[in-house]
Amino acid sequence: MRINYKLNDRFDLTIFLTASALVVIGLIAIYSSTQNTLNQKGNFDKQLISWGISLFVLFFLYTIPIKTFKLAALPSYIFSLLLLMLVLVIGRKISGARSWIGFGGFSFQPAEFAKLATILYLSDFLSRSETVLDNLKDIFIALVIGMTPVALIMLEPDLGSSFVFIGLLLALLFWKGISLFGLVLVLSPGIVAVASLFGTIYFVIAIVLVIAALFFFKRDVFLSGSILALNLASGFFVDTFYNILSPHQQKRIQTFIDPNADPLGSGYNAIQAKVAIGSGGFWGKGFLHGNQTQLQFIPEQWTDFIFCVIGEEWGFIGSVVVILLFAILFLRLLRLATFAKNEFLSLIIIGILTVFFIHFLVNVGMAIGILPVIGIPLPFVSYGGSSLLINMTLLGIILNIHRSRKESA
Amino acid sequence: MSARIVHIDRNKVFYAIIIAVVSIYVFKLFDMQILAYDQFNTKASDNSIKAIEQIALRGVFYDRNMKLLVENTPAYTVRVTPAEYDTSLNRKLESVLDLDEGYISNMLFKNRIYSKFVPLRVKRGADFSSIAWIEENKEHLPGVDYIIEMQRGYPMGVMGSHLFGYSKEISPQQLKKEDNYYQPGDLIGAIGLEKHYEKDLRGEKGYNYILVDSRRREVGKYKNGVNDVPSQKGKDLVLSIDGELQKIAEEELNGRPGAVAAIEPSTGEVMVLASSPEFDLNQFSYVTPKDYLKQLMDDPLKPQYNRATMSAHPPGSTFKLLCALAALDLGVITPSTTLYCGGSFNYGRTFKCHGAHGAVNVISAIEKSCNVFFYQLIFKIGLDRLKSYADRFGLGHKLGIDINEEVRGLIPNSAYYERIYGKDWPKGILVSLGIGQGEVNVTPLQLANYCALIANNGKGFVPHIVKGYLDEDKKYHPYTFKAVDTGIKQSVFDMVKEGMFRVVNGAGTATNVRISDIHIAGKTGTAQNPHGKDHSLFVAFAPYEHPTIAVAVLVENAGFGATWAAPIAKKIIETYVRRTMPKSTQTEPQKIVVEPGENFAD
Repeated sequence: MRINYKLNDRFDLTIFLTASALVVIGLIAIYSSTQNTLNQKGNFDKQLISWGISLFVLFFLYTIPIKTFKLAALPSYIFSLLLLMLVLVIGRKISGARSWIGFGGFSFQPAEFAKLATILYLSDFLSRSETVLDNLKDIFIALVIGMTPVALIMLEPDLGSSFVFIGLLLALLFWKGISLFGLVLVLSPGIVAVASLFGTIYFVIAIVLVIAALFFFKRDVFLSGSILALNLASGFFVDTFYNILSPHQQKRIQTFIDPNADPLGSGYNAIQAKVAIGSGGFWGKGFLHGNQTQLQFIPEQWTDFIFCVIGEEWGFIGSVVVILLFAILFLRLLRLATFAKNEFLSLIIIGILTVFFIHFLVNVGMAIGILPVIGIPLPFVSYGGSSLLINMTLLGIILNIHRSRKESA
Repeated sequence: MSARIVHIDRNKVFYAIIIAVVSIYVFKLFDMQILAYDQFNTKASDNSIKAIEQIALRGVFYDRNMKLLVENTPAYTVRVTPAEYDTSLNRKLESVLDLDEGYISNMLFKNRIYSKFVPLRVKRGADFSSIAWIEENKEHLPGVDYIIEMQRGYPMGVMGSHLFGYSKEISPQQLKKEDNYYQPGDLIGAIGLEKHYEKDLRGEKGYNYILVDSRRREVGKYKNGVNDVPSQKGKDLVLSIDGELQKIAEEELNGRPGAVAAIEPSTGEVMVLASSPEFDLNQFSYVTPKDYLKQLMDDPLKPQYNRATMSAHPPGSTFKLLCALAALDLGVITPSTTLYCGGSFNYGRTFKCHGAHGAVNVISAIEKSCNVFFYQLIFKIGLDRLKSYADRFGLGHKLGIDINEEVRGLIPNSAYYERIYGKDWPKGILVSLGIGQGEVNVTPLQLANYCALIANNGKGFVPHIVKGYLDEDKKYHPYTFKAVDTGIKQSVFDMVKEGMFRVVNGAGTATNVRISDIHIAGKTGTAQNPHGKDHSLFVAFAPYEHPTIAVAVLVENAGFGATWAAPIAKKIIETYVRRTMPKSTQTEPQKIVVEPGENFAD
């Protein structure tokens, strides 16, 4: 094997530098959005420290043997489920959700760690040679692995993280090569569930589409019947699910269905976020000069609404730079997924890509008013120690896979 | 093998999704930040820059001697900021601020649609002890604070409740009707001078531009206040009212139902306009307590009703002056004409006099208030001709004084009786009309104006309360007023005035108010009251030689004019004339000659 001694061959600078640029942009925006607030003033320093710590973790994961990940898959998955159960008992309640575990001065979200663990274990399961996704049993096992954390996270409840897990599950099944029928089987209950949120008519239309699809595939009556029953059940389950959501999350869903229903309540953030970004114009209002940002028209803008700070103070130019940095990161990860030396590692990369991508999709989408307000952070940019740490960990795994791509299996 | 192909296909799907999402987001940002920039930018500015209205200081009132009658005094206003306020404090705060139970929760409910960070006024004019209590218990009273605002004060101790009037919070109906000046919650003059001169008194609002944060909390001035527009104080009005006389009138009436109006004959300036019972204007400085309003409404004496300009009663014997003027001016009698009074007069039935005066001429008929003389006189004058003289004196007309609360009263003519009784209306009605009883109704202000015109020989001005205003540099700007001329001969006035002189200084009906060195000329009256005791009336002017004051006094349900009304007039006249006697400083006001009969507004 020919060994390239250039740095870029052993260490993927594109990925590392793109992510670092995003962290720096995030630090600037965190500084700007918190310098006027009394109790958030230390956020810039905390984020800087978190970055320093997570760089150590990144390099640690970069250097460890690649085999470690396969070995750690099942134990970390089980550990993460335990943590998710633990958080329901001892977790701290912040804005209606019990999603944080704290010890000492440090606190983190088990859901963040569960992302990593689920990626590893699901990739492990799917890459086993005996796993065939045309087999209903295997699809079922994959669903159980993917949906168990979702169920636990729903109990917190944390809507945003649940979406990430569902997306992750679908992406990995898809990458593994699930058949069209399998995809319909997996996807249709979700679609029916969402449709029923909008009302009975949409629910009926979705069910009719499912029946049409079942006729198209012409599988046996028992299987088709069970799938239909599953879909009907999920439609009715939505109601129950909706009721376990905290009121603020219910409001957010209502706001998405009809954004003008409550312009001063739940719709307020969505409107103010758009005003902030739109008023940034082409060049932006300049560092520390965004009046929406400086006057705190948007709550918690250093976390979930950080994109508004960038949009307002750095304008179209700044926003596009951030979006292009993410695009570079995503495309590079996708390319790396086809390079990976085995299916397990390829699936891991797709899993990580999906986690980053869904965060990006939902976070930026809600800031610019395309998607409902669901509180999840923008990777590398938003303030938050445990989020940054886990994202850098994921990046470390990627860099390790890149480093070891040419090693023999 | 097939797995590899699948991977490449699926790779393209991922690729397409990433490119699609990124493209949509970039396009959406282009749309928001470049195409719709102006719209969002305007919204962002509206969001954070707030124009805060600065209510202008209201103009104050000076009396004719430049003494302050109505001023602005700083008062404490207690406010509650709903977002920080704890409603469990309601009961405590209500009791400390002396508010009705449930007032605060009701107020919070009414204002629930507004920002919770905008403070609401729960009490204006809070007393110092409650402010001290708030200050002491600050840390236990989240969301409660106080500011200093201006409210009306009455430093001379003049009540002037009907005259000055009060302001109250603008009603939704008024908001629709008025120009764009007012905002909900603004005060607007409701009655009296405060209402009539609202546009002069209110000044011009100013605007301060401030930066507010997302919770509408002020964080600083916008551009250091370069765009701020300062408010402009309203005009300070100079009233023709004499504070001291007004106070005497109020004290003399002393809560008895009645009214006093005094006018300077040469200028039409109203020096006194008092109505009794009064009410406490301080109670109207902001939100009037419900029980106080109820108390006013339930009072059988109806204190809110301005008796000086709105109560129309028969003028009684004071009306005889008009009959005498008309008869002499028309030439239906001469100064030497005598009519015989045998103590009664027969016209269908017997009309009584208070004595048998024998043969009386016009002067002694006025002096003695002989009814029989005037019973006969009205038939010589004729009803419609009498009415035309009443019109010239403004009787039965709104005088157009500068407060809005004014009634017309009534002087009937033949058309009026035809409408009621038909073509052949009984002429017997006229008999009592000749002595000012029956369907004649005039207000105390009309009587004062009538007396002032007699004093000034038929010439004068439309009565007015405000004579001018002070500008910012305290420079006085007088208003001009419409002149009035009755067009009656001087010799006629000489006769009637001599009769009035004798009422007090001869053997007349009001000799009890005689003063040795000040010659008062007057006429008593007793207005028959079908609902109760008669009303006591007195009109007078003084000094007889060069009149400087004309007064009309009404004391309801008090009986004979000389007994109750005349002493009040005497006290006012004496005070005024003694004060002004040494210097006879009468400036000739600007005169506008008008045709007789079109003297008054209505």
